Amino acid sequence: MIRLPYISAAALAGVCAACVFATAVAAEDQTTDIGTLDKETAVKAFPAKPPYSPYAGRNFPTRPYFGDTHTHTSYSMDAGAFGARLGPKDAYRFAKGEEVIASSGQPAKLSRPLDFMVVADHSDGMGFFPQLVGGDPGLLATPQGRKWYDEINSGNGAEAAIDIITSFGKGQMPKGFPTPGTPAYRSAWRETIKAAEEANEPGRFTAFIGYEWTSNAGGNNLHRNIIWRDNGAKASLVEPYTTLTPLGSPNPRDLWKWMAMVEEKTGAEILALAHNGNLSNGRMFPIIESFNGKRIDREYAENRTRWEPLYEATQMKGDGETHPFLSPNDEFANYERWDKGNLDLTEVKKPEMLEFEYVRSALKNGLKMEAELGVNPYKFGLVGSTDTHTGLAAVEEDNFFGKTSSSEPSAGRATHPFVKTDKAVIMGWETTAAGYAAVWAAENTREAIFDAMKRRETYATTGPRMVVRFFGGWDFEAADANNRMPARVGYTKGVPMGGDLNSAPNGKSPSFLVAALKDPIGANLDRIQVIKGWVGKDGQAQERVYDVAVSGGRTIDADGRSKTSVGSTVDVTNATWTNTIGAGEMITVWKDPDFDPALRAFYYVRVIEIPTPRWTAYDAKYFGIKMPAEVRMTTTERAYTSPIWYTP
Amino acid sequence: MIARLLREPLLQFLALGAMLFGLHGLVGKRSAEAPEKIVVSASRIANLGDGFARTWRRSPNEQELQGLIEDYIRDEVFYREGRAAGLDRDDVIIRRRVRQKMEFLADDMSVPEPSDEQLAAYLASNPERFRAEDQITFHQVFLSVTRRANTIESDSKQVASVLARADGAADAMALGDPFLLGEEFHGVSPSKITGIFGEDFSKQIAAMEAGRWQGPISSGFGQHFVFISERISGGSPLLDAVRPAVRREWANAQRLEAERKLYASLRERYEIVVEAPSAKAAEAASR
Repeated sequence: MIRLPYISAAALAGVCAACVFATAVAAEDQTTDIGTLDKETAVKAFPAKPPYSPYAGRNFPTRPYFGDTHTHTSYSMDAGAFGARLGPKDAYRFAKGEEVIASSGQPAKLSRPLDFMVVADHSDGMGFFPQLVGGDPGLLATPQGRKWYDEINSGNGAEAAIDIITSFGKGQMPKGFPTPGTPAYRSAWRETIKAAEEANEPGRFTAFIGYEWTSNAGGNNLHRNIIWRDNGAKASLVEPYTTLTPLGSPNPRDLWKWMAMVEEKTGAEILALAHNGNLSNGRMFPIIESFNGKRIDREYAENRTRWEPLYEATQMKGDGETHPFLSPNDEFANYERWDKGNLDLTEVKKPEMLEFEYVRSALKNGLKMEAELGVNPYKFGLVGSTDTHTGLAAVEEDNFFGKTSSSEPSAGRATHPFVKTDKAVIMGWETTAAGYAAVWAAENTREAIFDAMKRRETYATTGPRMVVRFFGGWDFEAADANNRMPARVGYTKGVPMGGDLNSAPNGKSPSFLVAALKDPIGANLDRIQVIKGWVGKDGQAQERVYDVAVSGGRTIDADGRSKTSVGSTVDVTNATWTNTIGAGEMITVWKDPDFDPALRAFYYVRVIEIPTPRWTAYDAKYFGIKMPAEVRMTTTERAYTSPIWYTP
Repeated sequence: MIARLLREPLLQFLALGAMLFGLHGLVGKRSAEAPEKIVVSASRIANLGDGFARTWRRSPNEQELQGLIEDYIRDEVFYREGRAAGLDRDDVIIRRRVRQKMEFLADDMSVPEPSDEQLAAYLASNPERFRAEDQITFHQVFLSVTRRANTIESDSKQVASVLARADGAADAMALGDPFLLGEEFHGVSPSKITGIFGEDFSKQIAAMEAGRWQGPISSGFGQHFVFISERISGGSPLLDAVRPAVRREWANAQRLEAERKLYASLRERYEIVVEAPSAKAAEAASR
């Protein structure tokens, strides 16, 4: 019995007619106009005549790049205090797949190199030496000073360093010479830039220049990472914005002003992405601004959406997609939850804070505020990242190097408190081995990945490198799931994740091409879900979870859910599992069965893996220890895509 | 015994209390004497202004500069008083930060611009690290284990016999199942292939010859028949082709060496006495 589908090349070309030119145009649209993929016009403007070769003109992204937008090194004051010894150079080397010696003395290596990374050290306290040797005339007038200065500047500073320290110890410094601790020497920012410039290899590995602006007023996490599209020449024209007054500010509005200044005065392009709303105690996605007590206005909304195209939805300090309190009908909502209080646990969590902390509720409130203000402040795409403070972006469950250097692999790390106050305690085992950022860029360069981030063509994973595609349009049909080139049909007939659908054609509901491929060395997939959020006629925000593809021959009921669990093959004692359940790949076309063209909505995809051992199980096995009963030993890794928005 | 005593919270509390008491006394006493001087020199002010300019790309106005100066004075007052009270001593954060500064000093200042000879020598002694990867261009016919759970073995045999008669890559383009990442892979390196298909696949395809259909190769997704149309061998590169990478790795080696040297030379100045507790005492202390 042969069931091999034969599709002739001509038929194939027919299916993809129109797509070749349209794709090229759409790609241009994407870069100039964030999120607006005006495919319809493009098709009309360029009547289709495909070239003979089906592969010609294919310049859309063909594979996702995986990276981390959030690695701290010893340049971060808190990381250094926890014993981190690895700097930005080490962090980039590790990301590229080199073996390094971790701060705790253990060798560490990734299973596979990452494609890109942002070393994002805290701007506050980053500069040990806020100024390079400035060539102060008074100083250069002394023979010693002249000698050292020349040595340092000619790169022969090894002896100079020892000599300076010796002279310093003996009190024999020339007057005015910059010594460690006095205004001078060198700037950690310049070193950060230098490390990124050295590590950056267009086409092979992208090292972004960036930092973290760590606004933490009252212990409430409003942190943002800042990323440059540009090279060091532009980034070194400014120094990072801090949160400490008088130079800096903890208010995001001031950060945005600074970002506008940077773009205007240096010609650079930068973006910001926030993280850990779960530790902001109701302040990350506000409706009432915490800094002035007023309702968000249009200026706030415009700036937020302009400067913050992405949000880091999952990382070591817990998952930020949604919370069981907010999504009571979502059985996958209770994932790696950190909801005891704010970042330093000085204030406990109250349920009414949750709505302003999580991705899904923020996306919902964004729709409501768009109706009110004309601009959606919370129109962001999703990535995951690590927030490691070890210089090691190692978040696979069997290769988890911890949040800080003191929590690198050791027998006691799981049962040692991570934060402890009189109000609450978060244990070491609660830290999450997550996550990575996946970006659909046409090539592995700063420019291409940055542009993809700006147009939100990204998704978050909790660590596994699964491939996830998500396209929305009006004309997807079941046969598209069998197309030879799913990506091409996706870009031709619709917009990718992060994009927009506008004004529904008469009588049509949006349809979506949804696909996922498991991590080649990871676990099979349980199911693919579409999460829909919308604002009803009554002005109330709603949400609903649809199972759109499930593995193992299970069925999806009329209500759009598959209530049968995929099961589990996890052997906790031995920290193993098998891919005998689940599916390696899934693809489907899903049409919204409850669409109302008059209502604003968003759709994003969640891919769930089959259960696997959590990092705590690998620790227990490796160190031969017994974990306390409350320690979670299995996990269901997942991916979240950026939404596609529908606006009437 | 003493070590254990020192760990007692009550004792720690008393010690802290005593220290605060001392601090209070110190502050009180000092304020009665002639005040210490804090001089904010012109060069310091210029410096504060520079810091502002580097953040905002403009000079501070009068009011902003005044704010910077006030903040500096405030820093200085607390810093001096804190140090006088010994708050910097035995503070693990301050100790680590000072240590880092010393290490910074060594590693940034220690890397001169390497000569071509140095780089060439480094490349010659570490050829594997800089070996350019092979690049393979191939087509695949994919059979999905998800789509063909029960028939994949027999389907695979069918495909094998069709492909045995196929004349080239194009002949088979419509065979098999769609694969999310496509059926044509152009100029991909083994590490990229590993990233997409896994390590086993990568190893197997590396050993296959070009110009005819081969396989199947099994992966977590199913079975793959491949037609390699081109393979470019990486081989050992010339220095010019990999100079930035060689320079980076060379500098890294220098940096580690400089740090080691600095530490060794500084450590030489100390006679180090480690009073290792005897086994019995250690046991008692840990009880």
